[in-house]
Amino acid sequence: MTWDDCLMKKIIIVFLILLFYCLPAAAKTLNIDIYGPGQSAVNLYIAPPVLSSGQSISYNSSLPSTFRKLLLDNLQFLPFFNFIDSEQIVGGGKLKSALGKNIDFKKFNLSKVDLLISILCKNSEDNTNIAGLEVRAYEVFSGSFMLGKAYSVKNMAQLPLIASRFSAALMRQLTGKGDFFETKLAYVQRVDKHKQIFSISPQGHDKHQLTDLQGISLSPSWSWDGRQVAFVFINNREHRLAVWSKGLDKVQTWSMPGNTCISPVFTPQEQIALSIDPEGSPNIYLLNDKYQLEKELVKSWAIDISPSFDRLGDKMSFISSRLGNPHVFVLYTKTGEVQRITYQGKYNTGAAISPDGTKVAFSRMVEGNHRIFIIDIASGQEKQISFGPGNDEDPTWSPDSYFIAFSSNRSGTYRLYLTTVHGDEPKEIPTGAGEATAPSWGPSLDD
Amino acid sequence: MKVKLVIIAIACCLFWGVGCAKKQVQSDPEQTTGSEVVDTSAQEAEAERQAELERQRLEEEQQRLREQELTEQRRLEAEQARLRKEQERELQIMQKEEAFSALQSEKVFFDFDSFELKPEARAILQRKAQILKQWSEIKLMIEGNCDDRGTAEYNLALGERRARAAYEFLVLLGVDSNRLQIISYGEEYPIDPANNETAWAMNRRDEFRILGSNP
Repeated sequence: MTWDDCLMKKIIIVFLILLFYCLPAAAKTLNIDIYGPGQSAVNLYIAPPVLSSGQSISYNSSLPSTFRKLLLDNLQFLPFFNFIDSEQIVGGGKLKSALGKNIDFKKFNLSKVDLLISILCKNSEDNTNIAGLEVRAYEVFSGSFMLGKAYSVKNMAQLPLIASRFSAALMRQLTGKGDFFETKLAYVQRVDKHKQIFSISPQGHDKHQLTDLQGISLSPSWSWDGRQVAFVFINNREHRLAVWSKGLDKVQTWSMPGNTCISPVFTPQEQIALSIDPEGSPNIYLLNDKYQLEKELVKSWAIDISPSFDRLGDKMSFISSRLGNPHVFVLYTKTGEVQRITYQGKYNTGAAISPDGTKVAFSRMVEGNHRIFIIDIASGQEKQISFGPGNDEDPTWSPDSYFIAFSSNRSGTYRLYLTTVHGDEPKEIPTGAGEATAPSWGPSLDD
Repeated sequence: MKVKLVIIAIACCLFWGVGCAKKQVQSDPEQTTGSEVVDTSAQEAEAERQAELERQRLEEEQQRLREQELTEQRRLEAEQARLRKEQERELQIMQKEEAFSALQSEKVFFDFDSFELKPEARAILQRKAQILKQWSEIKLMIEGNCDDRGTAEYNLALGERRARAAYEFLVLLGVDSNRLQIISYGEEYPIDPANNETAWAMNRRDEFRILGSNP
């Protein structure tokens, strides 16, 4: 053998060793691209909570299982998770310890779990109750620690918030986005003869009634700072522009020129844009901070309604029947140019532009029923993301441009549902009894 | 001869005296025939006066009766006139009520996703215009409605176009625009909440509501 042959062999052997060594590590890192086309699901298992030593099972005994259920309920809204049951874990899913170094990752790996969550309940100083929770997430294949958070617990009422916080952190860790668990929806619910505006978290927690007016309240829309909701109020004499303000915790209303007030929204500069008809047909106007007309944004002989702004305020999608039937258009606010977006279908309404300005979600009437579609502005490509039955209407985007909430009467009554930009199986948002419509996604409140 | 005449005269006087004496049994016997004659005249005068008074009384009575009759007649006439007026007013009210009722109950209907007035709609609106012009104190609210097959926001706009179509037609027919107002209820107040074409057709409508008179 020559020197070269020897060297060659050594290099090859080293290379093979390195390859062999690196291969497992290169096999799988948990990283989810939520915007990528049809990502495969991650198998998630939340182990039964571990009590710290010295605790007996009797006190606070419902807290551990309640927290585990809340976490599970939250994460079930994320369509990229598959949930493994305890029965599917070889050798049982109970943990002896919540810490990675004491966890037997092999059995979870055998049971095809990708992501393991452990919960540790910490004692109070006098050992009388549970005063803290530590939640950790591990990548099972490598046994590596991904995320850990510690929370103090004063009472059971704090558990939903803790579950939301951890879920947001986990989602952010995996996808780069965590808004879903920290945001709110405003929506319309029928109450006796009237309709009122409510707020709720996308998982169905923290439901609050924002209005108590004698009439019909419609079309709520959050301000970008999450402190106000603009909506339309209709009594037996007129339409009025209405704004609920968190700081005031009350509603103010104004009479607008014309007879009709439709679809008010906030621009990123926190001015209100809405559709009113001082000239006889509904056009879209911008109001100043005194709620007077400042500027005309869109005008035609026909119906122009439903303005929706992207995060930068460069684009405003809207609905216009200027061509005979309602279609989706986009106004480029800097140039004033109006671009037609939808070319198919005869009845396209309820348009909402994604906060990142790339897509418009809307509902199209297909054979007598409404379905949610998404169209990419740049390419013009359409995709149907809801399939009924019944009517699917009023899409609204989450701040991360990933989730879409909409209302649907697929169950017989109008309720709110969640899906994603990929059209994942819709999940109902539990809003309680009563017909729920017109969801509007708001940012997280900086309390 | 003269002595015979005197005797006859005396006899006659005696007869007369006897006769008169019968009459004057109650009168003073010492009264002579001269006062008898005076009493008789007084009696006659009294009788005449009484008769005169009676006549006067009768006349007055008759006059009073005539006046009473006249008053009664006038009262009756006034009563009748009042009744007639009342009846006219009632008739007017009834006609007004019927007219108002027709004004509010007759609705105008539309095709799906349309705000065009069909021929039946125009006829109904013509009737409404007549009523509005006859009773100029009426102010009217025109309420535009839709079926729930469209989406809520678009239906608010469509309802307004439907109300406006009726408004413009009424103004064209001569109704003062100050007396008309428009509101759209979109799909919020269906007449029939069912999910079929009959229900939907009933819901695609304009309704009309009287707002009250001018002061």
